[in-house]
Amino acid sequence: MPITFIDIERQKTYRIGFFFIFLLLLYYLVAVAFAQGLFFVFPILFLKADSIFIWNSPHILIIVFVFCVVFALLHFYLSGFNAVKTVLRNIEAIPPDTNDGIHKSFVNVINEIEIVNGCSGKIKPMVIPSLSLNAIAVSDLKGDSAIAITEGLLSRLSRQQLEAVVAHESYHILSGDCLEATVATGLFGLYASMLDKLQSFGEDEKREGGLHPAFLLFWILVKLSHLLNLFISREREYRADAAAVKMTRNPVALAEALYLISNNWKGAGFIGDGLEMLCMVNPKESEIEESEGFWANLLSTHPPIEKRIKILLSIAHLTISDLENRFNVEHEKDEKEIKAEDKYYILDKNQQWQGPFHISELKEIPWFSPMTWIKRTSSNEIERASEDDALKLFFETHILYKHDKYASDLRCPLCKEPLLKIPYERTYIFRCHYCKGSLVDNDKISRILARREERFDERIALLAKAVQEDNKRAMVLRKTKGIVSGNRRLLNCPKCQNPMMRRFYSLVYLVEIDRCGLCNVTWFDNDELEILQYITEMRFS
Amino acid sequence: MIIWVVIGLFAVIILWLILIYNSIISLKNQVAGAWSQIDVQLKRRHDLIPNLISVVKDYMEFERDVLQKVTIARSGAMNASGIGEKAKKENILTEALRSLFAVMENYPVLKSNTNVLELQEELISTENKIAFSRQFYNDLVANYAIKLEKFPNNIIASLFGFKHAEYFKAEESDKVLPKYRAI
Repeated sequence: MPITFIDIERQKTYRIGFFFIFLLLLYYLVAVAFAQGLFFVFPILFLKADSIFIWNSPHILIIVFVFCVVFALLHFYLSGFNAVKTVLRNIEAIPPDTNDGIHKSFVNVINEIEIVNGCSGKIKPMVIPSLSLNAIAVSDLKGDSAIAITEGLLSRLSRQQLEAVVAHESYHILSGDCLEATVATGLFGLYASMLDKLQSFGEDEKREGGLHPAFLLFWILVKLSHLLNLFISREREYRADAAAVKMTRNPVALAEALYLISNNWKGAGFIGDGLEMLCMVNPKESEIEESEGFWANLLSTHPPIEKRIKILLSIAHLTISDLENRFNVEHEKDEKEIKAEDKYYILDKNQQWQGPFHISELKEIPWFSPMTWIKRTSSNEIERASEDDALKLFFETHILYKHDKYASDLRCPLCKEPLLKIPYERTYIFRCHYCKGSLVDNDKISRILARREERFDERIALLAKAVQEDNKRAMVLRKTKGIVSGNRRLLNCPKCQNPMMRRFYSLVYLVEIDRCGLCNVTWFDNDELEILQYITEMRFS
Repeated sequence: MIIWVVIGLFAVIILWLILIYNSIISLKNQVAGAWSQIDVQLKRRHDLIPNLISVVKDYMEFERDVLQKVTIARSGAMNASGIGEKAKKENILTEALRSLFAVMENYPVLKSNTNVLELQEELISTENKIAFSRQFYNDLVANYAIKLEKFPNNIIASLFGFKHAEYFKAEESDKVLPKYRAI
């Protein structure tokens, strides 16, 4: 491996040349075969030729070759030149929001990794609004490159782990692996989709599906594109892991990140066919990926994750069981923290102690104020609510935010009070302090669902269960008997004042929401956002 | 005939010398460029610290000495000159900031203050950038040293008076893997 990353940069251009030669050969073979076919079919056209076989007439071969060069160049240019944009559009990646805490640190991490590489080439950070855990790197012939990370991964990784993941991906970009893979997908992705269309077309027209000549040609090309996968060897993943360690000097963080990803949904389904070689881990679970041996090494694009983790951990003299222990300890600690959270007794107007209440239950008590006397369950000390650190925080979020400073121009669709812009899960939402309903921009929903800073108590859990069952019943009634129950009037969008559409968030998450299609905002009634978050969390853990 | 051979040989040697000289020069400039990157990040850290302190100080009445340590270390680092001294003073500042972050962990109020969180994120990012640019710089300095000391190059290096670049050394404590969980 070269000593600095500047040196790597220089090597990548000539390797991409092989791709071009491969493409040219392919075109040439196909074209020669095609021309030969013409010879057989229309011998009259070529009566002047000396022989019926094409290889006896070199001038035709040369003409065909020139045509092939032109076509191959055009194809290469079209597929490789603007590939970053195409791929990013394909996976629906969006640029990060700079007002969002987690997105901001992602942007910072990318800048840091650029520095460790000696600032060679700008890398564009992108976010994929999906709850799955995966990362993808793309670069094209124009010199653009981007690293896209799913919302799910961003929210689950610590800063150091994120850094390791970005370092891994940035090595793929630097070494040109990415350019090769992007061009490879670009070259034949076109054909693959064409083949798909042709196949469905053929099925519609005639059931027996005779072999269309063009169909055969495409079929050969697509099969050959699978051969291209062989170029993309497993070795490069190991090399990228090694380079990531060299950049961040932290093998454990990368191992932790891989461990986390391997135990979760990797995004199969939304990451399209042919893009898996650009991903950090293969989104599709397959036996061959996780096995070794000659054929497995030859045919798969990614090495077994477990082996990658083992290699990384051995650098730090750890084993997988150490890592698992570490995760378990952290998990237990989290649980203990939840259990150890104090509850509060509070003194009511009649000088009676009430409680104990959990902090989230306090907001339901109308007479609770900073001047109320409180007592923690863990100690006997009696103090004002405003003197307690945790409660101070509580007041800041629940009372201070009623202040005009946070008020927006938008009004609550239910109670017509001004909505307050409050921080929630490291981003911002609008909430009515009176009915506690919240207005969320649609692109922020996936972020909020992916993040787990807010904790939910039993009340939300029970509510979620009840709401789910209720809505299930309502839906069954509607589908089977056509009964529409609880016909509340539609709410008006706080932004454009047009009525919002009422529907379920999805058929898996039966939470009723009101959505404005014009302004791309969603209104959640009291607790509905929390319920939706709770349901998704339960599903993904 | 012989004279042509001699001239040809001479020309080859001159060309070869020029190549070596140029490669040394380009590496030397890369080292200088890497240093300026460190400098940019150090400056940014100096600019960010007063903001953080002004926000944090209301909450952290009892941690006066920690805050003061950071302020003193900052002014010390700003007045340092020369790579060796700068490295030393900046390491003191890194140490002071690290203890400030550790103390901040004990204040849950700070953790929920978005202003503080943003500043802390900026500072952590700058810290990392300093560490990374130092890493890159030191790699280049090592390459440069190798280049100067290799056999034919060392003759040219001594001929033109090329000197080794100075490493930006890390403190002993930096060599241990940091254990803190960043936010």
